[in-house]
Amino acid sequence: MSLPRRLFRLGIRRPGGARDEMLEELEFHLESRIAQLVARGLSPEDARREAVRRLGGSLAQTRRRLGDSAERRDRRMDMLQAMRNLADDVAYAVRGLARRPGFTIAAVLMLAIGIGANTALYSAVDALLLRSLPYAEPSRLMDVVQTNGPGGNSPWSWPRYRYFRDAATSYASIALHQYSQTTLTGTDPERIGIEEVTAAYLPTLGLKVRLGHDFPGDLDAGPGARKVALISDALWQRRYNADPAVTGRTISLNRESWEIAGVLPPGFRGLSGRADVLVNLTARQADDLIQPWSLEFDLIGRLRPGVTPAAAASEAHILGGRIAEVFPVEKGTLTTDAAPERWSADARPLNAIRVAPALRRSLLVLFGAVGMVLLITCVNMANLLMARALARKQEIAVRLAIGASRARLIRLLVTESVVLALMGGVASLGVALAGARILSLINPTEALRAQGLAGGIGAVSFEMIHLDASALAFAFGLTLVVGLLFGLAPAWSGTRADLSRDLRDGSPLARGGRGIGVSRRSLVVAEVALALVLLAGSGLMLRSLGNLLQVDPGFDARHVLTLRLALPPGEVAHDSMPGFYDEIQAALAALPGVDGVALEDCPPLNGGCNSTIMTFADRPPSATGNAMIGVHWVSPEWFRTMRVPLLRGRGFTGADRIGAPKVVVINETAARRYFPGEDPLGKQVAVYQGGFNTGAEVVGIVGDVRYETIDSTARPDAYIPYAQAPVGRMMIFVRTTQDPAALAPSAMARLRQVAPSAPIYDIQPMESRLASASSQARFSAILLGLFALVALTLAVTGIYGVMSFAVAQRTREIGIRIALGADRRRVLALILREGGLLALVGAGIGLAAALASTRVLRGMLFEVTTTDPGTYAAMIVVLAAAALTASWLPARRAARVDPMVAIRAD
Amino acid sequence: MAEALPLIKGTLDLLVLKALSWAPMHGFEICAWLEERSDGSFDVDDGALYYSLHRMEERGLIRSEWRLTDNNRRARYYQLLPAGRTHLRTETASLERYVRALTGILSARPA
Repeated sequence: MSLPRRLFRLGIRRPGGARDEMLEELEFHLESRIAQLVARGLSPEDARREAVRRLGGSLAQTRRRLGDSAERRDRRMDMLQAMRNLADDVAYAVRGLARRPGFTIAAVLMLAIGIGANTALYSAVDALLLRSLPYAEPSRLMDVVQTNGPGGNSPWSWPRYRYFRDAATSYASIALHQYSQTTLTGTDPERIGIEEVTAAYLPTLGLKVRLGHDFPGDLDAGPGARKVALISDALWQRRYNADPAVTGRTISLNRESWEIAGVLPPGFRGLSGRADVLVNLTARQADDLIQPWSLEFDLIGRLRPGVTPAAAASEAHILGGRIAEVFPVEKGTLTTDAAPERWSADARPLNAIRVAPALRRSLLVLFGAVGMVLLITCVNMANLLMARALARKQEIAVRLAIGASRARLIRLLVTESVVLALMGGVASLGVALAGARILSLINPTEALRAQGLAGGIGAVSFEMIHLDASALAFAFGLTLVVGLLFGLAPAWSGTRADLSRDLRDGSPLARGGRGIGVSRRSLVVAEVALALVLLAGSGLMLRSLGNLLQVDPGFDARHVLTLRLALPPGEVAHDSMPGFYDEIQAALAALPGVDGVALEDCPPLNGGCNSTIMTFADRPPSATGNAMIGVHWVSPEWFRTMRVPLLRGRGFTGADRIGAPKVVVINETAARRYFPGEDPLGKQVAVYQGGFNTGAEVVGIVGDVRYETIDSTARPDAYIPYAQAPVGRMMIFVRTTQDPAALAPSAMARLRQVAPSAPIYDIQPMESRLASASSQARFSAILLGLFALVALTLAVTGIYGVMSFAVAQRTREIGIRIALGADRRRVLALILREGGLLALVGAGIGLAAALASTRVLRGMLFEVTTTDPGTYAAMIVVLAAAALTASWLPARRAARVDPMVAIRAD
Repeated sequence: MAEALPLIKGTLDLLVLKALSWAPMHGFEICAWLEERSDGSFDVDDGALYYSLHRMEERGLIRSEWRLTDNNRRARYYQLLPAGRTHLRTETASLERYVRALTGILSARPA
């Protein structure tokens, strides 16, 4: 459509409104008709009656109906017009964008990355932090814990639970649950997740079985109840072919048979998210359940309608205090310090603890960072469009001069930016899809535990991340907001034309000397500042990651394959276990390329292992308080296989077997902490596990190994020869001369022959365990680094764009200067100074903003402070170098200006 | 004067377009023109005429504007748009075909 038609179609609005006009038209019609009829000889009265009759009888009704019709006509025409305008504007925008493919492609790519990354992270934030939990009325679900001093949360024992259940009035229903693993025995044994729960578990969550029936309520009466199980939908499909007759059959867990009562609803695998079987915990025998200090169960409750979480919490405080009086701390029980403990209880909404706080924080930091990237993208886009608007100043002035309204022109320009944003939005879906997929694959639960990020509800996991309708809606909304954001400012300033001046001046380039507008400079400054914030944040994270990777875990993870082995109870008699393990080790050692085989019960970087107290034969118990010590069952070869250095004394030998004097090896930290100023070797200690409470001799000291997380310091540990106290669950470590992953199939095959009915699982090279121990830090650092890189690139293109434009505008001025004898080097310096100034101001503002905002990283950093001067200095240098490079090219162009060409131009 | 015939559905629009194909007219002029041409054989409701005008303006077949009549009265004049002219031509042709076919059948006599 031609320009004039576009302009003249604007604002055709009839004055007075359609209804009034219709009435006037009708009045005119009546008069004309009456005049006609009178001329034919009717009396005025008859003529009027006849005229009204011909209009359809009642005049009032005719007026109303025709008025309605006229209004409807105008409404529809306006709507049609608006749609045509929009279609015109869109077509105009598309033509304009198609004319400049380079600009368009760059802009669409920029937006695709910005919007896509935001959408991907949104989907993570939504899945992990926002989406309501998949249970009935999740806001009424509470997690109740016992507390032991600030931050010390503890699970429940059966007797304490019973007291709480009988006394609490806030809840409609409460239930215990505890996750562990068990072996599905029988043919093709399998290691599966299991939750021991009370019968009220499903009703408390508001769930119903999909098949069969729930736990009968009488199971909760007390210990020694019959064994009842509910199986997951997944297990039902996988092991029972979705057989509807499964209820009433039995399932064999650890060689005990359980009656299958029903099948869980699809997708539900307990609050742990990993259970395939739920069993009633009351199936345990009384002596296993009635210990008040056997704190192992988690407690959830569903609030009665109308009870607030705060009311439930204060009730928990009161009841917690009472429970502490009913079940006092006995002297000499497992406590970590000598101070008297204040036990109480607390209730928190289940939703509030859905993920570990550290995980929540790092997600929010990343979301904030990616938002900042998008903001820079917007600023950059605004900058580009502003340059375009300047170049189109004359066209816009012409349009204004011939009567286009400013609002209409702004709409035209904003349409262009929204069209651009929509193109970017569509392209961003690819980025978002890939991003969400990557996010869903990282951080399996085991990796989270190895980083101290477990906790929260296992059912809320990274696997839940996917692009769903809400993510798409987010992307669409974001796209529109972004389009308006970067379109409005350039459209506003671009149409604020000083008409006469722009028409008179002709080419905008003719106005030399004025340089570029304040608005564009501020945009570049903002970009630089934002980029520095991201650079500083990512610099700190990278530094922290570097420190983390420098940590010596205490062993050599290279070329080691690890496999877990769990013997079902009774599979191998207790006393035959050492022989059985010897057999396994011998079988594996015979494989080609194997350099060493060893066993240990709990692998390094496991997020914590089993621990107990230790007492000393030559000291009264009160002298040392309760010395906590980690306990590890190992084979004699383990230290050598894992390259854990033996510092003093001896390791274990084949002679340290059942019947021989009991011996332990302790780590360096234990030696330092518990034997200050004395020689631990030869000392008698009692370790309250594995039958070592009767005393054992310390025979060696080995180096520290990190069993918790890579960033937590080693704790005191003791090693027990497994041959003196066999356990049924071991991890096998195989050192090879080749790629450990390549060894897995032959090792599996060999183990199947030796131990056909023991499940072997969790097979991975030790190096990947080590890697997952820092995966969260690595992931955050890499993502932040990526964001910072994008931000830096955008800031640099911003500076480059503005400086190129400034040089182009000032070509004539520069030409004159050079003609008058200015040194070309001074011209170069002039332009560089201008670019440098922008970068300097931006960096200054950015520095302040970074110092303020990197505080959110505290707690995510390892051995780096949030104000680490080295990092800041390095990032400012990076930014300055980038800014100078970006200004260098335009400056060199300016210095090469040919005065004759420049002055003759225009 | 014979009893006036009711209009076949859709033909009013066509008649109005035909009227406007001569010159821009206001509503009453269109009424008068139709009455004159049909010699009173069609029963045109004056109100229906205005609905027809609204409909066709909305469809972009005609447009309207306020002008002064010869007697210096303000009146809303309707004018045929190119789309309306095309519509008139094609609809007239199809109506003629229809009438011819109908007449051929109805006027046939048994051999």
